[in-house]
Amino acid sequence: MSDDRQLSDEAFGERVARQLRSVERFDDTFETDLVAAIRADHSVESGATAPARPLRRTWWGTPRTLHISPLAGLAMAASLAAIVSLGTLGIARSRPMTATPPTRVAAHVVHDTVNVVRFVFVGQAKTVSLVGDFNAWGAQPVALAPTGSNGTWSASVPLPSGRHEYAFIVDGQRWVADPFAPTSSDEFNTNSSIITVGS
Amino acid sequence: MTTRTDAELVAAASSGDVDAFAILSRRYRDAYTRFVVRMVGDRDEAEDVLQSAFIRAFRALDSCRDPARFGAWLYRIVVNECRTCVTRRSRRERRIIRDDTQFNAAAAEPAVDARETLEDVEYALAQLDVDQREAFVMKHVEDMSYEEMADLTGVGVSALKMRVKRACTRLRELLEEVHDV
Repeated sequence: MSDDRQLSDEAFGERVARQLRSVERFDDTFETDLVAAIRADHSVESGATAPARPLRRTWWGTPRTLHISPLAGLAMAASLAAIVSLGTLGIARSRPMTATPPTRVAAHVVHDTVNVVRFVFVGQAKTVSLVGDFNAWGAQPVALAPTGSNGTWSASVPLPSGRHEYAFIVDGQRWVADPFAPTSSDEFNTNSSIITVGS
Repeated sequence: MTTRTDAELVAAASSGDVDAFAILSRRYRDAYTRFVVRMVGDRDEAEDVLQSAFIRAFRALDSCRDPARFGAWLYRIVVNECRTCVTRRSRRERRIIRDDTQFNAAAAEPAVDARETLEDVEYALAQLDVDQREAFVMKHVEDMSYEEMADLTGVGVSALKMRVKRACTRLRELLEEVHDV
Protein backbone atom coordinates (compact mmCIF):
# COMPACT_ATOMS: atom_id res chain seq x y z
CA MET A 1 0.00 0.00 0.00
CA SER A 2 2.99 2.31 0.29
CA ASP A 3 2.70 3.40 -3.35
CA ASP A 4 -0.97 4.10 -2.78
CA ARG A 5 -0.18 6.59 -0.04
CA GLN A 6 1.29 8.84 -2.70
CA LEU A 7 -1.96 8.93 -4.60
CA SER A 8 -4.67 11.48 -4.01
CA ASP A 9 -7.87 10.06 -2.61
CA GLU A 10 -9.58 10.48 -5.97
CA ALA A 11 -6.77 8.76 -7.83
CA PHE A 12 -6.95 5.97 -5.30
CA GLY A 13 -10.69 5.73 -5.87
CA GLU A 14 -10.16 5.61 -9.59
CA ARG A 15 -7.69 2.76 -9.25
CA VAL A 16 -9.93 0.83 -6.92
CA ALA A 17 -12.94 1.33 -9.18
CA ARG A 18 -11.24 -0.50 -12.04
CA GLN A 19 -12.04 -3.74 -10.31
CA LEU A 20 -15.69 -2.82 -10.27
CA ARG A 21 -15.98 -2.17 -13.98
CA SER A 22 -16.36 -5.74 -15.13
CA VAL A 23 -19.50 -6.18 -17.18
CA GLU A 24 -22.51 -7.59 -15.37
CA ARG A 25 -25.37 -9.17 -17.29
CA PHE A 26 -28.57 -10.99 -16.50
CA ASP A 27 -29.68 -13.66 -18.92
CA ASP A 28 -32.75 -13.53 -21.11
CA THR A 29 -34.98 -15.03 -18.45
CA PHE A 30 -34.98 -11.46 -17.13
CA GLU A 31 -37.52 -10.42 -19.77
CA THR A 32 -39.49 -13.65 -19.38
CA ASP A 33 -39.81 -13.01 -15.66
CA LEU A 34 -40.51 -9.33 -16.22
CA VAL A 35 -43.34 -9.96 -18.68
CA ALA A 36 -44.85 -12.58 -16.38
CA ALA A 37 -44.61 -10.22 -13.42
CA ILE A 38 -46.22 -7.35 -15.31
CA ARG A 39 -49.04 -9.58 -16.51
CA ALA A 40 -49.51 -10.89 -12.97
CA ASP A 41 -49.51 -7.30 -11.78
CA HIS A 42 -52.28 -6.51 -14.27
CA SER A 43 -54.28 -9.51 -13.18
CA VAL A 44 -53.98 -8.40 -9.57
CA GLU A 45 -55.17 -4.93 -10.43
CA SER A 46 -57.96 -5.93 -12.77
CA GLY A 47 -58.97 -9.23 -11.24
CA ALA A 48 -62.01 -7.95 -9.42
CA THR A 49 -63.64 -11.30 -9.95
CA ALA A 50 -60.94 -13.21 -8.11
CA PRO A 51 -62.83 -15.80 -6.13
CA ALA A 52 -61.94 -17.50 -2.92
CA ARG A 53 -59.95 -20.67 -3.32
CA PRO A 54 -62.28 -22.62 -5.63
CA LEU A 55 -64.23 -25.54 -4.36
CA ARG A 56 -63.51 -27.30 -7.62
CA ARG A 57 -60.07 -27.03 -9.06
CA THR A 58 -60.06 -26.06 -12.65
CA TRP A 59 -57.15 -26.77 -14.92
CA TRP A 60 -55.12 -29.06 -12.73
CA GLY A 61 -57.91 -31.48 -11.94
CA THR A 62 -58.83 -33.02 -8.66
CA PRO A 63 -56.70 -31.95 -5.77
CA ARG A 64 -54.50 -34.59 -4.29
CA THR A 65 -53.55 -34.73 -0.72
CA LEU A 66 -49.82 -34.75 -0.39
CA HIS A 67 -48.54 -37.57 1.75
CA ILE A 68 -45.05 -36.95 3.00
CA SER A 69 -42.88 -39.47 4.75
CA PRO A 70 -40.63 -38.08 7.49
CA LEU A 71 -37.65 -38.37 5.16
CA ALA A 72 -39.49 -36.82 2.26
CA GLY A 73 -40.78 -34.18 4.61
CA LEU A 74 -37.27 -33.25 5.59
CA ALA A 75 -36.20 -33.16 1.97
CA MET A 76 -39.14 -31.02 1.04
CA ALA A 77 -38.63 -28.72 4.01
CA ALA A 78 -35.13 -28.19 2.75
CA SER A 79 -36.28 -27.62 -0.75
CA LEU A 80 -39.11 -25.17 -0.59
CA ALA A 81 -39.07 -21.54 0.24
CA ALA A 82 -40.97 -18.44 -0.55
CA ILE A 83 -38.78 -15.47 -0.05
CA VAL A 84 -39.90 -11.93 0.34
CA SER A 85 -37.08 -10.50 -1.59
CA LEU A 86 -37.68 -6.88 -2.17
CA GLY A 87 -38.97 -3.72 -0.70
CA THR A 88 -41.93 -1.71 -1.68
CA LEU A 89 -42.17 -0.17 -5.10
CA GLY A 90 -44.12 2.88 -4.17
CA ILE A 91 -43.80 4.45 -0.78
CA ALA A 92 -45.00 7.95 -1.36
CA ARG A 93 -48.09 7.48 0.73
CA SER A 94 -48.43 5.42 3.79
CA ARG A 95 -51.87 3.97 4.23
CA PRO A 96 -52.69 1.92 7.26
CA MET A 97 -53.36 -1.61 6.13
CA THR A 98 -55.39 -4.08 8.04
CA ALA A 99 -55.10 -7.76 7.32
CA THR A 100 -56.89 -8.14 4.03
CA PRO A 101 -59.23 -11.08 3.70
CA PRO A 102 -57.74 -13.20 0.95
CA THR A 103 -60.93 -13.20 -1.05
CA ARG A 104 -60.80 -9.44 -1.25
CA VAL A 105 -57.25 -8.85 -2.34
CA ALA A 106 -58.19 -7.79 -5.81
CA ALA A 107 -60.75 -5.37 -4.51
CA HIS A 108 -58.37 -3.76 -2.06
CA VAL A 109 -55.27 -3.21 -4.09
CA VAL A 110 -53.33 -0.20 -2.94
CA HIS A 111 -52.24 1.08 -6.29
CA ASP A 112 -49.10 2.82 -5.17
CA THR A 113 -47.82 -0.03 -3.09
CA VAL A 114 -46.56 -3.27 -4.53
CA ASN A 115 -44.10 -5.71 -3.05
CA VAL A 116 -42.20 -7.98 -5.35
CA VAL A 117 -42.09 -11.43 -3.83
CA ARG A 118 -39.76 -14.05 -5.17
CA PHE A 119 -41.14 -17.55 -4.91
CA VAL A 120 -38.57 -20.30 -5.09
CA PHE A 121 -39.21 -24.01 -5.46
CA VAL A 122 -36.41 -26.54 -5.36
CA GLY A 123 -37.23 -30.07 -6.43
CA GLN A 124 -37.52 -32.39 -9.35
CA ALA A 125 -40.26 -31.24 -11.70
CA LYS A 126 -41.09 -30.72 -15.34
CA THR A 127 -43.23 -27.67 -14.67
CA VAL A 128 -43.95 -25.61 -11.60
CA SER A 129 -46.72 -23.04 -11.34
CA LEU A 130 -47.76 -20.70 -8.60
CA VAL A 131 -51.40 -20.29 -7.73
CA GLY A 132 -52.93 -18.16 -5.06
CA ASP A 133 -55.66 -15.75 -4.18
CA PHE A 134 -53.71 -13.11 -6.09
CA ASN A 135 -54.25 -14.91 -9.41
CA ALA A 136 -57.70 -16.30 -8.73
CA TRP A 137 -56.22 -19.66 -7.80
CA GLY A 138 -54.94 -20.47 -11.20
CA ALA A 139 -57.11 -18.45 -13.56
CA GLN A 140 -53.77 -17.07 -14.70
CA PRO A 141 -51.17 -19.31 -13.06
CA VAL A 142 -47.68 -17.92 -12.81
CA ALA A 143 -45.14 -20.29 -14.32
CA LEU A 144 -41.91 -20.57 -12.38
CA ALA A 145 -38.82 -20.58 -14.57
CA PRO A 146 -35.93 -22.97 -14.04
CA THR A 147 -33.03 -20.94 -12.74
CA GLY A 148 -30.28 -23.52 -12.76
CA SER A 149 -29.46 -27.12 -13.28
CA ASN A 150 -30.11 -28.11 -9.68
CA GLY A 151 -33.88 -28.14 -9.87
CA THR A 152 -34.42 -24.57 -8.74
CA TRP A 153 -37.46 -22.75 -10.07
CA SER A 154 -38.41 -19.19 -9.34
CA ALA A 155 -40.81 -16.41 -10.22
CA SER A 156 -41.12 -12.87 -8.98
CA VAL A 157 -44.65 -11.69 -8.43
CA PRO A 158 -45.80 -8.22 -7.46
CA LEU A 159 -48.25 -8.44 -4.58
CA PRO A 160 -50.19 -5.79 -2.74
CA SER A 161 -49.41 -5.45 0.93
CA GLY A 162 -51.40 -7.79 3.09
CA ARG A 163 -52.05 -11.46 3.62
CA HIS A 164 -52.04 -13.90 0.71
CA GLU A 165 -52.52 -17.61 0.30
CA TYR A 166 -50.62 -19.62 -2.27
CA ALA A 167 -49.43 -23.06 -3.31
CA PHE A 168 -47.27 -24.60 -6.00
CA ILE A 169 -48.62 -26.89 -8.71
CA VAL A 170 -45.95 -29.36 -9.74
CA ASP A 171 -46.14 -31.07 -13.13
CA GLY A 172 -49.61 -29.71 -13.67
CA GLN A 173 -51.31 -31.75 -11.00
CA ARG A 174 -49.47 -32.04 -7.71
CA TRP A 175 -50.48 -29.46 -5.11
CA VAL A 176 -47.59 -28.53 -2.83
CA ALA A 177 -47.76 -26.13 0.08
CA ASP A 178 -44.70 -24.46 1.52
CA PRO A 179 -43.73 -26.32 4.71
CA PHE A 180 -41.95 -23.26 6.07
CA ALA A 181 -45.03 -21.05 5.90
CA PRO A 182 -48.15 -20.97 8.03
CA THR A 183 -50.93 -22.96 6.40
CA SER A 184 -54.66 -22.82 5.97
CA SER A 185 -56.92 -25.66 4.94
CA ASP A 186 -59.94 -25.70 2.73
CA GLU A 187 -62.99 -27.92 2.70
CA PHE A 188 -60.95 -30.72 1.15
CA ASN A 189 -58.30 -30.49 3.86
CA THR A 190 -55.88 -29.31 1.24
CA ASN A 191 -53.24 -27.08 2.73
CA SER A 192 -52.19 -23.80 1.25
CA SER A 193 -49.53 -21.45 2.51
CA ILE A 194 -49.91 -17.99 3.90
CA ILE A 195 -47.60 -15.09 3.29
CA THR A 196 -47.95 -11.57 4.62
CA VAL A 197 -46.16 -8.92 2.65
CA GLY A 198 -45.49 -5.32 3.50
CA SER A 199 -45.06 -4.24 7.05
CA MET B 1 -33.77 -6.78 -33.86
CA THR B 2 -36.52 -4.19 -33.84
CA THR B 3 -36.15 -0.83 -35.51
CA ARG B 4 -38.95 0.76 -33.56
CA THR B 5 -37.91 3.86 -31.70
CA ASP B 6 -38.15 4.27 -27.97
CA ALA B 7 -41.04 6.68 -28.42
CA GLU B 8 -42.96 4.16 -30.55
CA LEU B 9 -42.35 1.39 -28.05
CA VAL B 10 -43.32 3.59 -25.11
CA ALA B 11 -46.57 4.49 -26.87
CA ALA B 12 -47.32 0.82 -27.53
CA ALA B 13 -46.43 -0.19 -23.98
CA SER B 14 -48.57 2.60 -22.57
CA SER B 15 -51.48 0.98 -24.38
CA GLY B 16 -50.79 -2.27 -22.59
CA ASP B 17 -48.42 -3.93 -25.05
CA VAL B 18 -46.19 -5.79 -22.59
CA ASP B 19 -44.07 -7.25 -25.40
CA ALA B 20 -43.17 -3.72 -26.53
CA PHE B 21 -42.02 -3.03 -23.00
CA ALA B 22 -39.95 -6.21 -23.04
CA ILE B 23 -38.12 -4.83 -26.09
CA LEU B 24 -37.38 -1.65 -24.16
CA SER B 25 -36.18 -3.75 -21.27
CA ARG B 26 -33.79 -5.70 -23.51
CA ARG B 27 -32.56 -2.43 -24.96
CA TYR B 28 -31.62 -0.89 -21.60
CA ARG B 29 -31.16 -3.53 -18.96
CA ASP B 30 -27.53 -4.36 -19.75
CA ALA B 31 -26.61 -0.71 -19.49
CA TYR B 32 -28.02 -0.51 -15.97
CA THR B 33 -27.13 -3.92 -14.62
CA ARG B 34 -23.63 -3.13 -13.45
CA PHE B 35 -24.78 -0.02 -11.62
CA VAL B 36 -27.48 -1.98 -9.80
CA VAL B 37 -25.15 -4.86 -8.93
CA ARG B 38 -22.54 -2.47 -7.52
CA MET B 39 -25.12 -0.53 -5.55
CA VAL B 40 -26.92 -3.52 -4.10
CA GLY B 41 -23.91 -5.79 -3.77
CA ASP B 42 -25.79 -9.04 -4.23
CA ARG B 43 -26.44 -10.27 -7.76
CA ASP B 44 -29.74 -12.02 -7.07
CA GLU B 45 -31.06 -9.08 -5.13
CA ALA B 46 -29.85 -6.77 -7.89
CA GLU B 47 -31.91 -8.68 -10.42
CA ASP B 48 -34.97 -8.25 -8.23
CA VAL B 49 -34.27 -4.55 -7.84
CA LEU B 50 -33.98 -4.10 -11.59
CA GLN B 51 -37.18 -6.08 -12.13
CA SER B 52 -38.96 -3.89 -9.61
CA ALA B 53 -37.67 -0.75 -11.24
CA PHE B 54 -38.91 -1.91 -14.65
CA ILE B 55 -42.32 -2.90 -13.27
CA ARG B 56 -42.56 0.47 -11.64
CA ALA B 57 -41.60 2.12 -14.91
CA PHE B 58 -44.26 0.17 -16.78
CA ARG B 59 -46.86 1.34 -14.30
CA ALA B 60 -45.73 4.93 -14.64
CA LEU B 61 -45.29 5.09 -18.43
CA ASP B 62 -47.97 7.74 -18.71
CA SER B 63 -45.77 10.06 -16.71
CA CYS B 64 -42.83 9.70 -19.10
CA ARG B 65 -43.09 13.17 -20.61
CA ASP B 66 -40.39 12.73 -23.22
CA PRO B 67 -40.60 9.16 -24.56
CA ALA B 68 -37.66 9.80 -26.87
CA ARG B 69 -35.56 10.05 -23.70
CA PHE B 70 -37.06 6.98 -22.16
CA GLY B 71 -33.63 5.63 -21.21
CA ALA B 72 -32.77 8.60 -19.00
CA TRP B 73 -36.23 8.52 -17.41
CA LEU B 74 -35.87 4.82 -16.71
CA TYR B 75 -32.41 5.31 -15.24
CA ARG B 76 -33.82 7.70 -12.65
CA ILE B 77 -36.29 5.05 -11.59
CA VAL B 78 -33.51 2.48 -11.38
CA VAL B 79 -31.40 4.82 -9.24
CA ASN B 80 -34.32 5.48 -6.89
CA GLU B 81 -35.09 1.79 -6.64
CA CYS B 82 -31.50 1.08 -5.64
CA ARG B 83 -31.64 3.76 -2.97
CA THR B 84 -34.87 2.36 -1.61
CA CYS B 85 -33.42 -1.14 -1.49
CA VAL B 86 -30.16 -0.11 0.18
CA THR B 87 -31.88 2.17 2.68
CA ARG B 88 -34.42 -0.46 3.68
CA ARG B 89 -31.75 -3.10 4.00
CA SER B 90 -29.51 -0.92 6.12
CA ARG B 91 -32.46 -0.32 8.40
CA ARG B 92 -32.96 -4.08 8.69
CA GLU B 93 -29.29 -4.79 9.13
CA ARG B 94 -28.95 -2.47 12.05
CA ARG B 95 -30.67 -5.17 14.02
CA ILE B 96 -28.07 -7.72 12.97
CA ILE B 97 -24.79 -8.03 14.78
CA ARG B 98 -22.09 -7.47 12.22
CA ASP B 99 -19.69 -10.29 11.97
CA ASP B 100 -16.45 -8.38 11.60
CA THR B 101 -14.50 -11.21 13.12
CA GLN B 102 -14.84 -13.32 10.04
CA PHE B 103 -13.97 -10.43 7.78
CA ASN B 104 -10.91 -9.49 9.79
CA ALA B 105 -9.76 -13.09 9.87
CA ALA B 106 -10.00 -13.27 6.10
CA ALA B 107 -8.25 -9.94 5.77
CA ALA B 108 -5.40 -11.14 7.95
CA GLU B 109 -4.50 -13.75 5.39
CA PRO B 110 -1.66 -12.63 3.14
CA ALA B 111 -2.94 -10.81 0.09
CA VAL B 112 -1.87 -12.25 -3.20
CA ASP B 113 -0.25 -9.06 -4.39
CA ALA B 114 -0.59 -6.89 -1.29
CA ARG B 115 -3.42 -5.09 -2.99
CA GLU B 116 -7.11 -5.37 -2.36
CA THR B 117 -9.13 -8.08 -3.97
CA LEU B 118 -12.47 -7.54 -5.64
CA GLU B 119 -14.10 -8.94 -2.50
CA ASP B 120 -12.26 -6.38 -0.39
CA VAL B 121 -13.44 -3.58 -2.63
CA GLU B 122 -17.01 -4.82 -2.67
CA TYR B 123 -16.99 -5.10 1.11
CA ALA B 124 -15.59 -1.59 1.51
CA LEU B 125 -18.09 -0.22 -1.00
CA ALA B 126 -20.91 -1.79 0.99
CA GLN B 127 -19.75 0.09 4.11
CA LEU B 128 -20.29 3.48 2.49
CA ASP B 129 -23.53 5.26 3.11
CA VAL B 130 -25.91 5.20 0.20
CA ASP B 131 -25.20 8.77 -0.96
CA GLN B 132 -21.46 8.19 -1.12
CA ARG B 133 -21.79 4.77 -2.70
CA GLU B 134 -24.12 6.06 -5.37
CA ALA B 135 -21.88 9.02 -6.19
CA PHE B 136 -18.75 6.86 -6.28
CA VAL B 137 -20.29 4.22 -8.54
CA MET B 138 -21.71 6.81 -10.92
CA LYS B 139 -18.44 8.73 -11.15
CA HIS B 140 -15.75 6.08 -11.07
CA VAL B 141 -17.48 2.92 -12.20
CA GLU B 142 -20.05 4.25 -14.67
CA ASP B 143 -17.74 7.10 -15.71
CA MET B 144 -20.44 9.75 -15.67
CA SER B 145 -19.78 13.47 -15.68
CA TYR B 146 -20.90 15.45 -12.66
CA GLU B 147 -23.49 17.13 -14.84
CA GLU B 148 -24.98 13.77 -15.81
CA MET B 149 -24.98 12.73 -12.18
CA ALA B 150 -26.71 15.94 -11.16
CA ASP B 151 -29.34 15.40 -13.85
CA LEU B 152 -30.01 11.89 -12.64
CA THR B 153 -30.04 12.51 -8.92
CA GLY B 154 -31.26 16.08 -8.63
CA VAL B 155 -28.28 16.84 -6.39
CA GLY B 156 -25.98 19.79 -7.11
CA VAL B 157 -22.57 19.30 -8.69
CA SER B 158 -20.69 20.65 -5.65
CA ALA B 159 -22.44 18.28 -3.29
CA LEU B 160 -21.76 15.37 -5.63
CA LYS B 161 -18.07 16.24 -5.81
CA MET B 162 -17.96 16.27 -2.03
CA ARG B 163 -19.69 12.89 -1.85
CA VAL B 164 -17.22 11.36 -4.30
CA LYS B 165 -14.28 12.81 -2.43
CA ARG B 166 -15.56 11.51 0.92
CA ALA B 167 -16.31 8.14 -0.63
CA CYS B 168 -12.75 7.87 -1.93
CA THR B 169 -11.32 8.89 1.43
CA ARG B 170 -13.47 6.40 3.28
CA LEU B 171 -12.69 3.61 0.82
CA ARG B 172 -9.02 4.25 1.27
CA GLU B 173 -9.35 4.09 5.05
CA LEU B 174 -11.34 0.88 4.89
CA LEU B 175 -8.96 -0.82 2.49
CA GLU B 176 -5.89 0.29 4.37
CA GLU B 177 -7.40 -1.17 7.52
CA VAL B 178 -7.70 -4.45 5.68
CA HIS B 179 -4.04 -4.49 4.72
CA ASP B 180 -2.73 -3.13 7.98
CA VAL B 181 -4.30 -5.91 10.05
